[in-house]
Amino acid sequence: MATLKELAKKPEYFTNGHRGCAGCGAAIVARHVLMATDGNVVVANATGCLEVFSTIFPFTAWNVPFIHNAFENAAATISGVEACYQSLKAQKRYDKEVKFIAFGGDGGTYDIGLQALSGAMERGHDMLYVCYDNGAYMNTGIQRSSATPKGANTTTAPAGKVEQGKTQKRKDFTAILVAHHIPYVAQAVVGDWADLTRKVEKALSIKGPTFINVFQPCRLGWGYEPSRTIEMGRLAKETCFWPVFEVENGVYKLNYNPKDRKKPITEFLKPQSRFKHLFKEENKPLLEEIQKDVDQEWQRMLKICEAT
Amino acid sequence: MKNKELVCGNIAFSEAAIRGGCRYYYGYPITPQNEVTSYMSSRMDEVGGVFLQAESEIASINMVFGAALTGARAMTSSSSPGISLMQEGISYLAACELPAVIANVMRGGPGLGNIAPAQSDYFQAVKGGGHGDYRLIVYAPSTVQEVVDYTYKSFSVAEKYRMQVMILMDGLLGQMMEPVVFPEMVEFKGIKSDWSITGCKGRAPRLVRSLFLGRGVLEDHNKKLQEKYKKAEETELKYETYKTEDAEVLLTSFGICARFCRKAVDLLREKGVAAGLFRPVTLWPFPGDKLFKVAENVKKIVCVEMNAGQMVEDVRLSVSNPEKVSFFGRTGGGIPSVSKIVEFAK
Repeated sequence: MATLKELAKKPEYFTNGHRGCAGCGAAIVARHVLMATDGNVVVANATGCLEVFSTIFPFTAWNVPFIHNAFENAAATISGVEACYQSLKAQKRYDKEVKFIAFGGDGGTYDIGLQALSGAMERGHDMLYVCYDNGAYMNTGIQRSSATPKGANTTTAPAGKVEQGKTQKRKDFTAILVAHHIPYVAQAVVGDWADLTRKVEKALSIKGPTFINVFQPCRLGWGYEPSRTIEMGRLAKETCFWPVFEVENGVYKLNYNPKDRKKPITEFLKPQSRFKHLFKEENKPLLEEIQKDVDQEWQRMLKICEAT
Repeated sequence: MKNKELVCGNIAFSEAAIRGGCRYYYGYPITPQNEVTSYMSSRMDEVGGVFLQAESEIASINMVFGAALTGARAMTSSSSPGISLMQEGISYLAACELPAVIANVMRGGPGLGNIAPAQSDYFQAVKGGGHGDYRLIVYAPSTVQEVVDYTYKSFSVAEKYRMQVMILMDGLLGQMMEPVVFPEMVEFKGIKSDWSITGCKGRAPRLVRSLFLGRGVLEDHNKKLQEKYKKAEETELKYETYKTEDAEVLLTSFGICARFCRKAVDLLREKGVAAGLFRPVTLWPFPGDKLFKVAENVKKIVCVEMNAGQMVEDVRLSVSNPEKVSFFGRTGGGIPSVSKIVEFAK
């Protein structure tokens, strides 16, 4: 794997000058993922924050070929490009080694883009799909998504007198991808560049469809200080809210285990204004329930890793 | 006297729908109408209604289908790209004759376009965006108060014909705030119908369908739809004229654009040009016969739209003197200024 020194010397494939918010985690995902490549990549991007703030024509932050189509179809669009590339190669009309990466937010991946992604994974295109999961529709004004954690305040599942934010649990999306029996699936987090870099390198070294779900703090939608993005990502990992693991050919491997240093979930929730209401005295049971859910999921993850 | 409230078009149609008896709103985020999902998520709770955020526009229109099937007053809203995704569902609603209301807060297209105001979905709304021979009743309000008024009545119109009503707005109308008076809350206790699927205990089972495989069965169904559309065409027509009695230059325009034209008519008259405005309020049914009469003695007809020229085709088809029709428009979020309209028309 490339060292930090080596990475720093590489050309930037996702450059500065875009219009992401101060402390934007999505930009960090795009930059780190592309840094882990040799630049011979074609990127597809679903509609969303990342696409909007990085490609306001005639400007672009992408120093690689880039294709955007619509909200629901990044995986289908890159499927078409990849299939065309494979055909050209088979006909010996093109011989350069090119990798294909699609980016989508949780809206474009968990919700409206699920069908296209599932199709692409099952067909077995040689591609990497990266979901930057910030847990809501941030681009359109912080509406809930199926990735929004239980209890979070959003504009369409607001916390008030009757309900305390989103009432449903978030979808375990990575498990859906594992169920596609593709060669490589992983969860990573903004704030652990070494882990993410290694995972991208690994995914791109494997022939076939691969998927990395990157948990991405969003200062706007989560409501924390812009300077704390990296810290928020790490807290998601250290509280085991977002387990960092990889699944290679069906075998789970935990990449981070805090063991007895596992932090309480409140450390992750407290700095975010979207969870502010949970810290009212009357919501204590809800907070306890969230901790219980995290613990249960973590135990389940440990068992799965042991079993496979 | 009723209280006036200052609201934007998006909130206006949301609240008007609720006042009109709508208790089922299904939606999906898209700019420039995100106020709607946010407003409905809490307001529907207050009135004991249902707000559901779908996972896509395809899902939201089919949620409307499910609710409408039971005789409920259901609606969805979106902006242009989202409405494109709904076209399959709209065609099915039309085939099954399920009353529903769909609001389109248009933005610039084609494709992802932009998020600025446009009127480029006229064809899609009026000519049938999905497959098959069907029509929507299309209202094009031009003020926030009209947004309220037409949304409010759209549910009963939809039920009267078992049709789908589209409220065709644009990003400007959706975002713009104006004082409005909201009508009284309708006490809607469910429709009395011989078709809604409500459980067949004590009565014969009912069937709502859009698949007609037998020889000639689909043709008969289509004939029935066409007869119904003809009735709606005769009775639901709405239009507005402004200073057309002695007009020599006739502007035609719809929605927000007609407001610019109204001002342009005044300015043209100040310059000594006898100008007038013909504004279809229903885009389907299109008030072609009325336009024919108004346009008969004018020297010049100028159609002004925020698109590349869509309603102008219906204007040309309606008048006896199509060679006199010219078009002035802007696309992609461009808004025709009053002074440019005046310059073009004089």
